[in-house]
Amino acid sequence: MSGRWTWRLLSLPGVGWLSVFFLVAFYAVLCVAFGNQDTLSQPVPFWNPLDWNVGYVLDVLRNIWHGGQYLTVLLRTLAFVAIAMALALLVGYPVAYFTARHAGRFRGLVLLGLIVPFWINYLMRMLAWINLLSPDGWGTRVLHDLGIERLFLWLGLLSTRGGWLDGQEATVVIALVYGYIPFLILPLYAALDRIDQRQIEAARDLGASPLSAFLRVTLPLSMPGILAGSVLVALPMFGDYYTPDLVSASTRTNMIGNQIDEFTRQGSEKVTGAVLTLLLALILLALMFYYLRSTRRAAAEHAA
Amino acid sequence: MAHPRDGRGLTRRQLLARGGVAAAALSTTGLVAGCENTTEPVGSVGGGLSGEAAKLVVQKPLGPGGLPLPRPDNAVTWAITAENRPIKEGRPPERGPLRLYNYADYIDPGLVKRFQKQYGTSVQIATYNSADEAIAKLAAGAVAFDVIVGLTGSNIVNLIAQRLLQPLNHAYLPNLARNVWPELQDPFYDRGSRYTVPYVVWNDGIGWRNDKVAEDIAGMDVPWDVFWHSQAYRGRVGVLDDKRDALSMPIQRDAMRTGIRPDLNTEDKAVVDAAERELAQLAGICNVKVTITDYQTLPEAKTVLHHSWSGDLLSAAFYYLPKGVKADVLSFWAPDANGVVQNDFLCIGRNARSPVLAHRFLDFVLDEKNAYSNFVNFTGYTPPQKAIDAEALIKQGLIPRTLTAAVVRPDQFAANQELLQLSVQGERLWDDAWSRFKAG
Repeated sequence: MSGRWTWRLLSLPGVGWLSVFFLVAFYAVLCVAFGNQDTLSQPVPFWNPLDWNVGYVLDVLRNIWHGGQYLTVLLRTLAFVAIAMALALLVGYPVAYFTARHAGRFRGLVLLGLIVPFWINYLMRMLAWINLLSPDGWGTRVLHDLGIERLFLWLGLLSTRGGWLDGQEATVVIALVYGYIPFLILPLYAALDRIDQRQIEAARDLGASPLSAFLRVTLPLSMPGILAGSVLVALPMFGDYYTPDLVSASTRTNMIGNQIDEFTRQGSEKVTGAVLTLLLALILLALMFYYLRSTRRAAAEHAA
Repeated sequence: MAHPRDGRGLTRRQLLARGGVAAAALSTTGLVAGCENTTEPVGSVGGGLSGEAAKLVVQKPLGPGGLPLPRPDNAVTWAITAENRPIKEGRPPERGPLRLYNYADYIDPGLVKRFQKQYGTSVQIATYNSADEAIAKLAAGAVAFDVIVGLTGSNIVNLIAQRLLQPLNHAYLPNLARNVWPELQDPFYDRGSRYTVPYVVWNDGIGWRNDKVAEDIAGMDVPWDVFWHSQAYRGRVGVLDDKRDALSMPIQRDAMRTGIRPDLNTEDKAVVDAAERELAQLAGICNVKVTITDYQTLPEAKTVLHHSWSGDLLSAAFYYLPKGVKADVLSFWAPDANGVVQNDFLCIGRNARSPVLAHRFLDFVLDEKNAYSNFVNFTGYTPPQKAIDAEALIKQGLIPRTLTAAVVRPDQFAANQELLQLSVQGERLWDDAWSRFKAG
């Protein structure tokens, strides 16, 4: 048996797993979204695409077109994710840079520190924050003592002193950053680590200032890492619903995931839930497509 | 309408992630042909009377499969059919195990242990997170449950329509007549208790921290108004995360102001939309939270004013008080009439393997002492037992006087309304309004 066949065989379980648990499940969501419901308000999927019913999809699109609640949560979700992603980059890039370039013999330790939070369940970490950010919590006290609370009050991002959990948009965004930032740092670290040190040295030898060497060499070369990291954090953030639920629970911080959760968990609108799931998947697909195109282009440029 | 236990997956007590994808909720009710453009449900039936005769009566809403939706003024007796008869009298209990299907943490483990000992059997408990989930699993028929705990009069139409229950033989249930409130021995959703016996009752009211909230809420003309004047408690105010309970609140408020009896099961779009608009005002007034964790947040003072289920305040007093906080800082008010009361029930699965043992279990839970201990040792939700009364609990020092209203009285139960299943169109109406409210 040739090596090629061995690998084909070995990839079979994985391919089978993905087909069953992704493709079939995704097709099922599609058939629910383009299906109908019965008189028990339970979804009736239409498995044959020729039978598909677009009534519920049109309902959602009409709602968005007329500026209904789905548009509100979609825009809010986009804003939250965009800000959280930018913040994560701002915080994560220096950490990744430091780890790759300057951590020296502590590199292993720093990496371990980045991975350790993964050992603790996401919900547990969020619940811990609820205690830390309660009005008399340690986190609240530290934020107060460092003057951060005052800054947030001044910027209008916090409505009362110590009110971090009073349903603040800022808290949700910060919680999203905290929850997903390791996903951004690790690929970024890998990309920065791969950069050939000599290219930067060459830039410096040719008279580039440290800043200009960073902007013209390091940053462009780390672009694939930035993209990969951004996509990795954006994907779960878009579908997140428990973070706003836990740290805010205000209607003003609900994201698209909260609407989907509401519809699919109970009630009579499971089909609408499936339509929103599909809508979200489309947005993520567009994001994924952009990422793949950018990395391919970068790879092509690299080869050239 | 949902049960207080619905969606409790996301609490510290359980810490379960709610994996909610539509795919999980798939039902395979069958294929329906025809590419179309509709949101009219499959298999809708006109149902009821037609033609000239229809003009002579006020039409009642119909539910799944054209079955009547039970209402206090439209009580329903479910038939006992030839292929699904109650078990015969005088049979010895099976060896078990007894398969119990219940919300998590919704029955005293001590009580279950005592039952196991008394009948020399074992009880296997499986749990569900929402009534929808429970009914879907029961309908799938993968596991034959003997006893199902926690479903309500809103679910019974589904349960009957899908033929998931077996009728009861009252000869095995002497405690029903002996101990249970007369009102619930013959409930409108199941005349003659043919398929169900009541488990606990609760009502919707206002829970608050009387050491943090200055208003005399119980003394106000319309206590619900306090939510619309809660600017001072911004960020610490909550309403129940349940479409029917929450949207009913402004409807009750309006009715209380005008002195009209509200219909909390209305399918009138204007009424539901107005309720949504009123509730949405709370976002601006107090940045309202939408949660069902008031049983934790009130004792911890993370919220100080909350639209609450009565049982939550009692659980808060029994279990969730932080060190140094006394139970009498918690207060509860609920309307005597025209508000929300609910009850849930125990029933036996159609394919129960131990039906006699299941009947014994039902009777065991209806026993006066057992019901009492389940209430004060575990659930915090009032069993509708003749012997239980708030004054006695206060005298024993079990609950503070400020929580008297959280022990539901039979007269209160009779004068309030249950939130019941609506027609498919009615459910969508409430769901749409709720989705608008939740979007902020």
